[in-house]
Formats: sequence, C-alpha cells, structure tokens
Amino acid sequence: MNLGEGVQLVSFGLLTALMLGSALGVVLAQSVVYSAFLLGLTFTGMAGLYLLLNADFVAAAQILVYVGAVNVLILFGVMLVNKQMAFEKVPGLALRQATTGLVCAGLFGLLTTVALTTPWMLSTTTPAGDGAIVAIAQHLFSDFLLPFEVASVLLLMALIGAIVLARRDLLMDNSATGLSDDLELKLPERPKASLSSGGEP
Amino acid sequence: MDFSTVASQLNAWTILPEGIVILTLIAVLLVDLIVGRSSVRWTPYLAIAGLFGAIAALWLQWAPPDPVAFLGSFSSDPLSTLFRGIIALSSAIAITMSITYVERTGTALGEFLVILLTATVGGMFLSGANELVMVFVALETLSISSYLLTGYMKRDPRSNEAALKYLLIGASSSAIFLYGASLLYGLSGGETRLDHLAAAIVSSGDRPPLALVVALVFVVAGIAFKISAVPFHQWTPDVYEGSPTPVVAFLSVGSKAAGFALAVRLLVTAFPLVSEQWHFVFTALAILSMVLGNVVALAQTSMKRMLAYSSIGQAGFVTIGLLAGTTDGYASTVFYLLVYLFMNLGGFACIILFSLRTGTDEISEYSGLYQKDPLLTLCLSIALLSLGGIPPLAGFFGKIYLFWVGWQAGLYTLVLVGLLTSVVSIYYYIRVVKMMVVKEPQEMSEAVKNYPAIDWSVPGLQPLRFGLVVATIATSLAGILSNPLFTIANDSVVRTPILQASLMVASPVSSVPDAGVTVADAIAPEESVIVP
Repeated sequence: MNLGEGVQLVSFGLLTALMLGSALGVVLAQSVVYSAFLLGLTFTGMAGLYLLLNADFVAAAQILVYVGAVNVLILFGVMLVNKQMAFEKVPGLALRQATTGLVCAGLFGLLTTVALTTPWMLSTTTPAGDGAIVAIAQHLFSDFLLPFEVASVLLLMALIGAIVLARRDLLMDNSATGLSDDLELKLPERPKASLSSGGEP
Repeated sequence: MDFSTVASQLNAWTILPEGIVILTLIAVLLVDLIVGRSSVRWTPYLAIAGLFGAIAALWLQWAPPDPVAFLGSFSSDPLSTLFRGIIALSSAIAITMSITYVERTGTALGEFLVILLTATVGGMFLSGANELVMVFVALETLSISSYLLTGYMKRDPRSNEAALKYLLIGASSSAIFLYGASLLYGLSGGETRLDHLAAAIVSSGDRPPLALVVALVFVVAGIAFKISAVPFHQWTPDVYEGSPTPVVAFLSVGSKAAGFALAVRLLVTAFPLVSEQWHFVFTALAILSMVLGNVVALAQTSMKRMLAYSSIGQAGFVTIGLLAGTTDGYASTVFYLLVYLFMNLGGFACIILFSLRTGTDEISEYSGLYQKDPLLTLCLSIALLSLGGIPPLAGFFGKIYLFWVGWQAGLYTLVLVGLLTSVVSIYYYIRVVKMMVVKEPQEMSEAVKNYPAIDWSVPGLQPLRFGLVVATIATSLAGILSNPLFTIANDSVVRTPILQASLMVASPVSSVPDAGVTVADAIAPEESVIVP
C-alpha cells in the first residue's frame, strides 16, 4: 500500500463515519433545526465520496445544489414556520418505534445482502476525471437530449405551479370573463366570503 | 462523438404530437399573459384544438418504419402511439369539463390549462419512454403536475390535504422507483436503454440475481402507485375526494393509462429474467385490487369516493390482460382502457354537472333526479352500468374480452375473482341508478328539489354537454360497433416489436397469431392462442 492509497482509505473511513453519524442524527435528533444542519453535513460527506471516486463535477454540483439550495431551502422552511409546539404523546409510541426500527433493520439487511452477493458488472471505461464536464455535455446533447429538453418543460411547469400556489388570489371579476353570475351554481370549493359578486343567495 | 451526424440520427419527427402539445401550452400561457382574464373565453378551445392536433399527428404516424428516436430515448411504436392518443383524448375531454368548474371556484383557468397540458405531455412521453432517465423525467413531469392540479383549489382545506398526501406518497414512491432503476443500471454495467437492459444483465446459474428481484419489487412499487393498485392505493380515495373533479377525471384515465403503458414496456423489455416473479407480484396486486376496490366501494356515501374505489377495482381487471401475456392479452388491456376512457369520463362529466347545479356529490342527494334532469340521469346511468359491465354497453365487451383472454391463458383464479367482484360492483353501480330513477317525487332529496332550471347558455357548459354526449354515445355504441376499436387495439399489439419479441421468447414452439388477426378471430375462441 503506497501513500496515496493509504490517504484514500483513511479519508474514505472518515467520510463514511461522518455520513453515517450525521444521517443517524438527521433521523434521531429531536430538534428540526439540528436535523436540517446534520442533513447538510450528510450531503457534504456525499460530495467527499464523489471526490474520492474521481468525479469532481458531480461533487461540485452536489455541494451547489444540495447543500447550497435544497438544504438552505429546508432551513428557510423550518425558520419561517416558527411554531412552538410540543410533541403530543402518541399512544404506543415505543411499539411503533420498535416496529419501524425492525423494518428498517430488515431492509438494511436485505440491501446489504444484495450489495454483497450480486456479481456487479464493473464498467471497464476509465473515469473521465477532469474531462467529466465535456463528457456530460456530450451526453446531454446526444443520447440524453430528450430527457434534458423534457426537464425544461418540467421546470417551466414547476415555476408556474409555485407561483399559482404562492400568489395571493385576486378577486375574480366575473363580468370580464363573460360568465354570467345570475345562475345558481354552487360548488363545495367555492370561497364564500372572498368572491365579491357571487350567485349565492 | 461526431455531432454533425447526431442531428440526422435523432428521428425527431416522432415526437411531433408532444411538440404540438408543448407549443399549445406555451401559446395558452402567453395569450393568458398578454390578453388577460378575458382570454378564458377561448383559451380552453385553443388547448382542445392543440390536443386534437396532437391526436391527428399520432394518427398520421401510426406504425412508422423506424420507431426508435433520440438515440434510443423514445420509441413511437404503435403501442405507445395508442397510449399517447388515449392520454391526449382524456385530457381534451377533461378540459371540456373544467371550463365552468374552474371559473366557478374562482381560480384562474389559464394556469390550470397549462398545468393540465404539462401533465398530458408527461404522460405521453412516459408512454413512449424507452430509457430509464427518460422514464424518470417523464414520470416526474406527470406526477408533479398532478400534485399541483390536486392542490389547485388552495382555499379548500380538502384540496390542500389531498395535495399534501399525494405529494408525500408520490415522492416516496418515486424515490423507491429510482432506487430500483439505479439497481438496474448497476446490474447491467451502466446501461439505461430498456431494450438493452435485459441482454446486459448476466444471470449466474439458473436463478436470477437477488438484486434483480429487489429492483423489480422497487420498480413495481413505483408503477403500482401510478395505477393505484392495492396496497399502493392509500392516496386514491382522499385525492379523488379532495381534488377538483376535472382533475380526478384526468387522473383516473390519463394518469392510469400512462402507468399501464410504463408497466407493459418496462416489465416486458427489462425483466424477462424474472418473468415468473413479476407475474406473481402482479397477480397478487390484481386480486387485492379487485377485491378491496370493489368491496370497499360498497360502503361509500360520496360519489367521488365510490368512483375512486371503483377505479382501484378497474385497475385490477385491466391487469388480467397484462398478465395473460399473449397478443390478445395486451390487446384486451388496450381495448379496455379505450372503453374505460369513455365510460369513466362520461361518469365524471355527469358528476361535475350535478355538482355545478347543486353543489354536492353525496350519493343520497341524487335520489329522484330523473324527474328533474332526464339527460343527466340517462348519461350517468349508461356510464355506471357500463362500468359495472352490463350488456350491451361497451364495458361488458371490454370485460368479457379480458376474462376470456385470462381464461385462455390459464389464469383461472384471477378470472373467477374478477367475475365475482364484477357482480359485487354491479350492486353499487346499480344502487346509484336506482336512487336516481326509481324514487317517487316525494322521496326527492333536498338538492334535487331545489334543482335549478336547466340552462345550457352559461359559457363553458356547451363544451361540457358536448363531451358528455360524445362519451355517452361512445359508451353505448362502442360495444356493439366495436370493430374499429378491436382492430386498432390488435394492430397496435401485433405491430409493436417489443411485444412480438417477448411473445416469441415466451413460447418458441406454439404458433404466433399472424399479423392479420381480425376481430372475429379475436373474440371467437380459437386454438392458436398461446398458453404459456
């Protein structure tokens, strides 16, 4: 074992310990804020693993997207909710937690068996390393062109949907839409108070 | 990689229908933005025109010589073309229902149409997706727009609850599906194309690798969520009850058809090694869905909840055709979905019309409706009787085809369970019909007593009436004059390479029905049917 391999092994061990510890913390911590910060730590550890796998670009994207955007968003969400509420006592909590733990342990055991027993097809191509960005771009504009373009439709729709959910509703002006409001039409969803001119008796 | 040749290999004309829908949605968005609120008078018609343009484009490229496009990302074989047509048609009919409904709830129609069209695009891409990344992106496009549509009535707490439940269950099932897909990627050594996956996965000995079985289970969890098969159905009743009814109409037909398209393509092309296992899993799902969906529907008091459970049961029936695994089996699945499109959308159109006029969808409120609104009563009765499988309506022929195919393939348990649960389902469908027709005038419910005068001149009600009448006529006649539908369903299966390849593998000795299978051959019991 030369020096490089030793360093790699030690950093792998450290990163794994960090990730496992923080991931357990995310699930087990009582405070949501601690969970959110520990989640950021997990994401960072994952980026470290990508670096060890010689995937610089993915590591950078992981930090930018997950730590920089997703995790900050979660923290914003936690802070904006700002509601002090004690957990209510759930009857049979210990039994539920034991069941959950058992299911999780079983799943972990199954997946570990899968990972250890399967004859994985190892790719023979050499890692792209520094040329990863070019390789990814070539894929995005050749065999992954269609998903890449469909993702733009998805993002457009997500943008519109976010605005629809977040905006304050304007009161509908029925005369502008040409819908007469003298007809007796009622719906369960209909806002009773906020419609200025409604057909409600 | 030489990019000058890539453009010529893309075969980009195959996604023309989706392109038309995307252009339509951008046009609707821009018109709504520029012209303002008054544009809602005609943007729905623009959207419907775009969807019919897409259907016309699909019709023109039926069975292209080279179906694979975008270097393997997408396949427009007849099977996917037909499923894309079903999804586009269901979306068009859902739009005709939504105009008055959305306006009446005081929300914006323009954005509703845009999100609904995006969901349609997602479903259409999902039906033809031939590669794991494409499958996932299309699945997410469909799912995320469905969550948004479900929560569109944001001042209604039931809609919020439905959207949140749908989002949480849907996100976890997507994650599980993605885990399964990543296992497939690892097993095949970095292959993402569905038609190359099976060949790339090596099998040591006679047993398939354990990881493949786990991948299968995870992928099935994602698919079963989309087709709302038991035990992945928990979201269905709440979402159907809480979300706007036109959205439910689209989810129950379009989204479900997309799920079945994905199921056929993925299971047949990527999992031939574990064929026995996926048949077992789907048999369990089908039996559970048929039993639970139809039995729990008996106890429902809300019309939308009843149809939610009924749609769970219907998913079980459709799965029989998928499990038969013969040419007729796949054809019966496609045929039933086509028929289900008309009868279910007809039913939902009636529910929307009733709730527009009375503001309720409790089953008991329908009593005595016959006296006040014969047209609505007739349409709803035909739709429900067809869903129950009463001859001579379309649903009867769809069901008998499914059961016959299942019996031929030796799926006796499934067919018997299907027959028994159809009898149960007839009870709860007829209960509604009886409520509407048989009650005396003095037994009329409050809602029906205060029934408003029938006025079709309200903007948006004319298209609803048109959609309703078309769906009703199709439901009544598609059974007797089913020849074109049978032919198209059979043709789509016979001319789809992946299905034919799987049939060859499944039974190399028995004779494969030749390409010119006619309707008479399809319904008459024949000896050439492959029994695996």
